[in-house]
Amino acid sequence: MAKKITLFISATLLTMTIFSGHAIATVTTITLSFVGETNTLAFMGVSQGRDEANIQGMFLGQRYSFTGDVASSTAIFAAVGPYKLRQLSISYPNKAIFNLIAKDNELRTECLPNVLHIIPSELMLADAVAQWHKKQPGEQVRAQTWHPSFKKYAASQLNARFTQSSNHKMDDEAWAGWAAVKLLSDSIGRSQITDPLPLLQFLKTQLAFDGQKGIALDFRQTGQLRQPLLLINNNKIVGEAPVRGVANTINLDSLGITRCLKSPSPPNNGVHNEIN
Amino acid sequence: MKLINAVILSALIFSPLAGAKSTGRIFVTNEKGNTVSVINGSTHQIEATIMIGKRPRGIGISPDGKEVYVAVSEENKMVVFDPQSLEILREFDVGDDPEAFAVHPNGHIYISNEDSAKATVINPTSGKIIAEIPVGIEPEGVAVSPDGKFVIITSESTNMLHVIAVPENKVVSNILVGARPRAATFTKNSKFAYATAEIGGEVIKVNVATGAVIQRISLGNDKAKPKDILISKDGKKLYVAGGRLNQVLVLDANTLEVLRGIPVGKRVWGLAMSRDGKRIYSTNGVSSNVSVINTDINQVIATVNVGRFPWGIVIDD
Repeated sequence: MAKKITLFISATLLTMTIFSGHAIATVTTITLSFVGETNTLAFMGVSQGRDEANIQGMFLGQRYSFTGDVASSTAIFAAVGPYKLRQLSISYPNKAIFNLIAKDNELRTECLPNVLHIIPSELMLADAVAQWHKKQPGEQVRAQTWHPSFKKYAASQLNARFTQSSNHKMDDEAWAGWAAVKLLSDSIGRSQITDPLPLLQFLKTQLAFDGQKGIALDFRQTGQLRQPLLLINNNKIVGEAPVRGVANTINLDSLGITRCLKSPSPPNNGVHNEIN
Repeated sequence: MKLINAVILSALIFSPLAGAKSTGRIFVTNEKGNTVSVINGSTHQIEATIMIGKRPRGIGISPDGKEVYVAVSEENKMVVFDPQSLEILREFDVGDDPEAFAVHPNGHIYISNEDSAKATVINPTSGKIIAEIPVGIEPEGVAVSPDGKFVIITSESTNMLHVIAVPENKVVSNILVGARPRAATFTKNSKFAYATAEIGGEVIKVNVATGAVIQRISLGNDKAKPKDILISKDGKKLYVAGGRLNQVLVLDANTLEVLRGIPVGKRVWGLAMSRDGKRIYSTNGVSSNVSVINTDINQVIATVNVGRFPWGIVIDD
């Protein structure tokens, strides 16, 4: 709650306006680098986010483009496994690296200082299913980040936009790619910060992002994006987690690990229970 | 007594609706009922229910009070009916998935096209498009300034208020606000506007001419997902539909402090105020009813059951 107040105050100070819709005098170019396979939904999601960021940029004087030069980029969008992700974290310590596909719990408890996990961890997904089972014992469900039939909170609009531009249905990794660029561009628009390191700090401490999931999203100290999850049975959405009646629906920390472990340690199934 | 009569008489003569006799009716679109409920403004009884089309949402009335417009979202059209006879007069195309709109004092309709990142200006008499104005992603709320010189469009996924100058129909400023801005309202002098940010849970005050954000306040309740916003006739209070908070919040328009919450039905989104400012009506989507608020005491004095998922509301007074 204290964090929310800080956010409000700083957002007030950072108010800005640009006149005359399309005739912006100076345009700042922000370069994004993507690491991973480009024939994936994660990349299509990043592309969708870039296109949408450019619509906002049209009004605020920013242009977002991809670069192959990772070192010079403003931020890195990574659709890679944990080994490569750790390497990127060490190689580029002063910029945000968005993890779009790796769900490993250890990546969260390690608290890599510059890695922001958009995709939920395995434990978040497991906790969502466990909550659902308390309400509906015996129902076989899977937890997902996103679903192409999700409609609430203007999710249907996002699904329609993505399908129109990519010819694919939006899945978890596509949403993660879209969300990563969108929350970056939203933060740049608000803060006018384009230097990678201050931007990373802004993202970690001041985010209130509308991921079209009905609640403002921000990052845990582990680098994980707090977010509601969807419960799917037979390819249909049956519920949302945190599950109403089982957990507080506005406390997103009932899903997954919330704190860092002091040092990297082997997997421990009891960890999140101790913390909660 | 004579003085009072004179005041009433002059009010009648100079009323902008002097040309058409007002019905006093309240019209409500029912998003899932596919109908418009017609409420008697004095008795708060349902007078009629009009079958209007699939997913009616935005609703507005012409400046002369002779026509009511309804955005029928899933049929991509605007349906026009007579507030007196309740007969459907005609319909016209308004692009994909029309949702919120406002009627300008010059008679033109400003509508947000949610799926195409633009606002469209339409002449409802001819059905012709007068202008298309590029705005942010998922444009939603539309507000017209009392002096008619400005229109604000909120873009939900770009988090902006776009200020459009009329009659030029050009964007003159883009104001970045909290997450998912949904609705806006102008002060009487047209110099300032207030907006709600649904996901941000905020109310924002802006200077229309400069585009500066003057004040911004968090409603301080995680359930408060504000939608519609109205300003009282004296300009001293704001009324904000609190969404899942199931309350209409009353704010001090000067400090933006929340003065009280008026419990209404579930998922309150739409608001309308009577011309004299004495009544506010809220559409409570999940409860399928409308709450009638007396603004002297800020309490609900009647609840009217309407169709399924009431959304938009307009008063013919």
